[in-house]
Amino acid sequence: MLKRAIAALAMAATTSGCMQYLVQPPQPSLAGTPQTVEANGYLGGKVQQPGYITAERCQNGEQLARVLVKRNFWQGFVNWITLGMVGPATVEYSCANAGEPPMGGGSD
Amino acid sequence: MAAPQPSFNPKKLWKNFHETYSQVIDGEWDIFMPQQAAGLTVADLRETTAQFQKLIADAKQRGLKARAIGSSWSLSKAPTTNGWTFNTNRLRGRLKVKAADVDPAYPGTADQKSGLYLFQCGNTVADVNKALENDSQKRALFTSGAANGQTIVGATQCGTHGSALEFGALHDHIVALHLITTADKHYWIERASRPVLAQPWVDSLGATLKRNDDLFNAAVVSFGSFGIVGAVVIETAPRYLLETRPTTAKLNESLWKAIGALDFSVPPFNGDKPYFFQAVINPSTDDVLIMANYRKDGPDTFQPNYDLVSPAKSIGPGFDALSTLGVILDAFQGVIPAFSKLAAKQLFDTTPKRGTPGMIYGFKPPLLHVASGSIAVALPDARRTLETMIQLYKDIGPVPLVFGCRYVRKSPALLAFNRFPIGLMISIDGVDNATSRAFFAAAADRVEAAGITFTQHWGKTNSYTPQRLAKAYGGNVQKWLDARRTLIPAAADRALFDNDYIRERGLAG
Repeated sequence: MLKRAIAALAMAATTSGCMQYLVQPPQPSLAGTPQTVEANGYLGGKVQQPGYITAERCQNGEQLARVLVKRNFWQGFVNWITLGMVGPATVEYSCANAGEPPMGGGSD
Repeated sequence: MAAPQPSFNPKKLWKNFHETYSQVIDGEWDIFMPQQAAGLTVADLRETTAQFQKLIADAKQRGLKARAIGSSWSLSKAPTTNGWTFNTNRLRGRLKVKAADVDPAYPGTADQKSGLYLFQCGNTVADVNKALENDSQKRALFTSGAANGQTIVGATQCGTHGSALEFGALHDHIVALHLITTADKHYWIERASRPVLAQPWVDSLGATLKRNDDLFNAAVVSFGSFGIVGAVVIETAPRYLLETRPTTAKLNESLWKAIGALDFSVPPFNGDKPYFFQAVINPSTDDVLIMANYRKDGPDTFQPNYDLVSPAKSIGPGFDALSTLGVILDAFQGVIPAFSKLAAKQLFDTTPKRGTPGMIYGFKPPLLHVASGSIAVALPDARRTLETMIQLYKDIGPVPLVFGCRYVRKSPALLAFNRFPIGLMISIDGVDNATSRAFFAAAADRVEAAGITFTQHWGKTNSYTPQRLAKAYGGNVQKWLDARRTLIPAAADRALFDNDYIRERGLAG
């Protein structure tokens, strides 16, 4: 019983303030591996650090396949204790293969 | 146009796609493919090969290990390295093999000859499906895994078993493969019993042609241990459609005839044998989700649509829901049966569908922290094995896992998961937590204790040991080791592709 109560409390504590949301296209085609960037929003996000995130690993014209913005317990706690003045988050992005390569070989 | 040069990223931590484990690495290389206005050419393949060989030379010179990585889909540590990873999932070139390039000794039918395709290693199963099934090709894979996010090489190197009743594994589509082993050697490997590409074509690639059944059957399922598989040539089927007839039932004697012996005379099949049959047994409730897919000829004008659409205002599990659920279900084991019912309702679509294989086994909502391991047994052992697993489930207590039963034919690959003439592949799927890990740890022991010969999925959680490999594969293990030493004669070159996964299974060195 004690184990369950502790687990429930731990769950409530560690998930409060946490959030994450994933955005991806209907047919994702990932290029490379996911890249992680730590970010901070200040004053409710009116000021950001970095000001914006460049997906540097998306090279040679690649766009984005996936963006995941997430906040763990500690990041949520900081946001809560500062009344939203400081809002740290983790941004994870994956680059996208652009389009379908044409079929080589042709006919003969 | 020349390919962009590989780009280094000093990343130190690599995670598999489902984030069930992480691995310390010494950096990753992104490999790019040349701009292909008119499609992939042999010159492109040569250029990519040269890039790989330079990276292999650099890794060796620095004393690093290295491995090619596809979609990072594997739940086992088969693809891991503590050195450099080479991200191959941008290498998505494909070409239709011209009749003029096929060896005159190719024993395939005219249809098979017209349905030969080369795919570079970074094409996902989804890419292959889309490339084949469109109006310009009108071809299809014979069989498929349940997922489509793996690269074709990643999935086949780990022995993904497929799902069609009358076909073998996904790697049984492959009839030739391009293997880059060292800084100065790369091979084009085919079976001597099934030559495919003519010598002049192989010469134009600059590869050494090896036609040998054992070498091919070893290399086609080798977990990246034989080097970098740059491309594969596959045989395909004329495009067909699958009609799904999903339903649910209770696990009773009648249904055991289908699940335990593929007797389709019983309801709900009533004598109609499917092309693909899957039964998902929920051991906590005895509910069985039945997926029977029937092969149909489609209209020539059929337009595949692969889009994954999130229904407006629907509620479902978030990307990382299972990590929290796992902890909850560890603490409150009693709620697992209710959770299982809810999950089945959420995840099992009972709406009949009609579509190409690429649509039916298409894009799914992504989920982290899934648990999955598979055990294969011969059909005559099917019911006894399942009853053994159900008993283990009851002994451990409710576990957030279900047993997916699929049936496939034997593969000629030396270390194929598809080892039996007709095999039952039990996919143990669910939430990754302490209870499910305890189940995985005990499952192989329990099946072994029952005296049942079994194999395990290389790309999922497994507990292979050298002893279990010897029991499952006999002399094939030595043939596989011999093949690796033939293709990579120098121990230092083999060591580059060694990892703990193959070392623990007695396959390194």
